[in-house]
Amino acid sequence: MDPSAARRIIVSEADFDAAALQAGLRAACAAQAGAIATFTGYVRDFAPGEPTRTLHLEHYPGMCERELAEIGDTALQRWKIAGYVIAHRHGALRRNEQIVFVAVASAHRGDAFHACEYIMDALKTRAPFWKRETLEDGRSFWVEARESDFERARQWEPGSSPTTENKNG
Amino acid sequence: MANGATIELLYFARIAELVGKRGEALPLAQPVSGRELLAELESRYPGLAPAARLKLAVNQYHRPPSVTIRPGDEVAVFEPVTGG
Repeated sequence: MDPSAARRIIVSEADFDAAALQAGLRAACAAQAGAIATFTGYVRDFAPGEPTRTLHLEHYPGMCERELAEIGDTALQRWKIAGYVIAHRHGALRRNEQIVFVAVASAHRGDAFHACEYIMDALKTRAPFWKRETLEDGRSFWVEARESDFERARQWEPGSSPTTENKNG
Repeated sequence: MANGATIELLYFARIAELVGKRGEALPLAQPVSGRELLAELESRYPGLAPAARLKLAVNQYHRPPSVTIRPGDEVAVFEPVTGG
């Protein structure tokens, strides 16, 4: 892993400025960042016709930060990337608010895309956050984990990688 | 945890609701497996039954039920995560 790599983890109740985080990563990676891939996740409606009023995100302080850093550092080892930013919120979020942001800087787009997707897939199954939905009609419940998320995460395990590692894009 | 003969249990999300608390110290003189600990919690808290998929983290690392839990450990109990 490149010791000069830009590595940043943010777990906060406050909203984040995705554009500023991307600009910060770009500045930190200077001329190495020929490409930056980003992903932003937002609070969406639970289902068509079932609008979400609020999403409460419970988290495990300490383990969240460690787990996210480990996921980012695994991406640094598997692909040629110059740095990453992972931001995740907790607490009470309203409809359409930002939940999560991932940015990966690389010399080439292939590594940036793959690492960004890997980070999100690993985060969904490993980072200790739990969502509680409250719908407009007042119903409230803990969101169930989806098997499809675990299937996606498993695709990145050694021997079943869907993508060629360290291949320049 | 002065003498190390307890473990610190943390409950998250639906598990905290079903158990009715966010954590507790549990006396533990000898190491136990994660599976044994979960069985003990299920007998202590019958309300846990609806939570079919209990997961463990020991000292803030995900661990399978075969993990050995020792006095002094921090053990979190929760359902599969749903962040992102």
